Amino acid sequence: MAAPTPPRTRRPPGLYRLARALRRVSVVIVVLLLLFLATVGYSAFELVRSSPQQSGGYSAGFDSNDTISVTGSLSVSNPGWYPLSGFTLSLRILNASGVYLGEVSDGPVTLAAGATTSVPIALYLPVAANGAAESLLVQNQYLDLGVWGNATYAYLFPVSVHFDQNKSWGAPFSDFSVSVGTPSVANGSTTVPVTISYSNDASFAEAGSLGMTVRSSGGTACGGATYPLNVAPQSFYYETRNVTLATGCSIAGGSVVAVYSGNGVNLALPPEPLP
Amino acid sequence: MIDSATAPAPPPPVEVGAYSVPGLGYRILAGGARLIPLLILLVGLPVAALTFLQSHGISLPVPILTVEVAGVLISVLSTARYIVKPTAAYGPVSVATSAVTIAYLLVLLAQASYTLGVPGSSVGISVGYARLLELALLVPTFALVAGLVTTVEDLASPKERLPFDYPA
Repeated sequence: MAAPTPPRTRRPPGLYRLARALRRVSVVIVVLLLLFLATVGYSAFELVRSSPQQSGGYSAGFDSNDTISVTGSLSVSNPGWYPLSGFTLSLRILNASGVYLGEVSDGPVTLAAGATTSVPIALYLPVAANGAAESLLVQNQYLDLGVWGNATYAYLFPVSVHFDQNKSWGAPFSDFSVSVGTPSVANGSTTVPVTISYSNDASFAEAGSLGMTVRSSGGTACGGATYPLNVAPQSFYYETRNVTLATGCSIAGGSVVAVYSGNGVNLALPPEPLP
Repeated sequence: MIDSATAPAPPPPVEVGAYSVPGLGYRILAGGARLIPLLILLVGLPVAALTFLQSHGISLPVPILTVEVAGVLISVLSTARYIVKPTAAYGPVSVATSAVTIAYLLVLLAQASYTLGVPGSSVGISVGYARLLELALLVPTFALVAGLVTTVEDLASPKERLPFDYPA
């Protein structure tokens, strides 16, 4: 009696094994992508929950080069599992009329997973005479603050966030006005009382002096006076000085030019016309 | 050195010629059952999400019709692939399924940046997902090549793979 023949066995053919391997690779990629997406979704949710926080508040003040500086910092934390790379932050300010005042950009910085960083913000607004932001000196207004944030999250996703905010601005010489009293003549000299008034609606104090020059309608300096300043924030200022006019100098239809000196700056205020 | 007593057992060898292909009725039934989760995954959930966004006045990253057509097409082709698996049509249908998936992903890739404008606010959020789609394109690409290889195999040696796809 013949012995039973053992079953003939063999490996799957090469083409079959190749096709099977390719299909398995595609399945592995699907699984990895789904896991990646799930963890990115969770991390992004955590990141959104811990939205950037303003740290320590903003401070404003007079600065060099006839500017007002607004400085502060933004604390950004990344509690997720993936890095936030190439993070840049840009701020742009327009005044109430839509005139461009200035902008600032920070970055790029890379924020590792679980890390927190502080992004400094320093914005310098040119308030020199005839500068774009001159009105910030004397006029309270709402500023249009545009904020742009750009970054790449989790290696693959470029993200851009933009929003606009209205911020109220309190002018350091709000409602600045000059009034001239009745001239008096004594010993051949003409003297006029000149009253300066304004409200310091800014968040910072003014310490120094205000040098005031009275000009004729032709622009000739007729006289001047210095007003000492020590005005706390949210305070009103009202001061009168007698100004002796140069002989023959008429101030009718002229103007008053005031220059603030203090806090390390010399800053000309917008000229005030005289009646 | 591996101890033969603890080494993992090799996969059982397949006997040549021994296979058992399920009948067409069974394959249609199983394929139909398989179609339901596919439709939910590729059509139901995406369309529900897009409709939710649309109902809240949020612009859509891709038209709902595109998602519906592509989702139904891919689901039906995938089911057909399952049903014709024992036949020589398996390779070409696999290629067709992968090709449609690639085309769908390429359509999505052409507009792979989504800007979310929140109604009633000035907030705008833009997210790009082109790189994710590029990675996702690897999946149907590998599947397409696998389908081509199976087509060649079926042409060269018809029914050669059946003992391994449907072992007895």
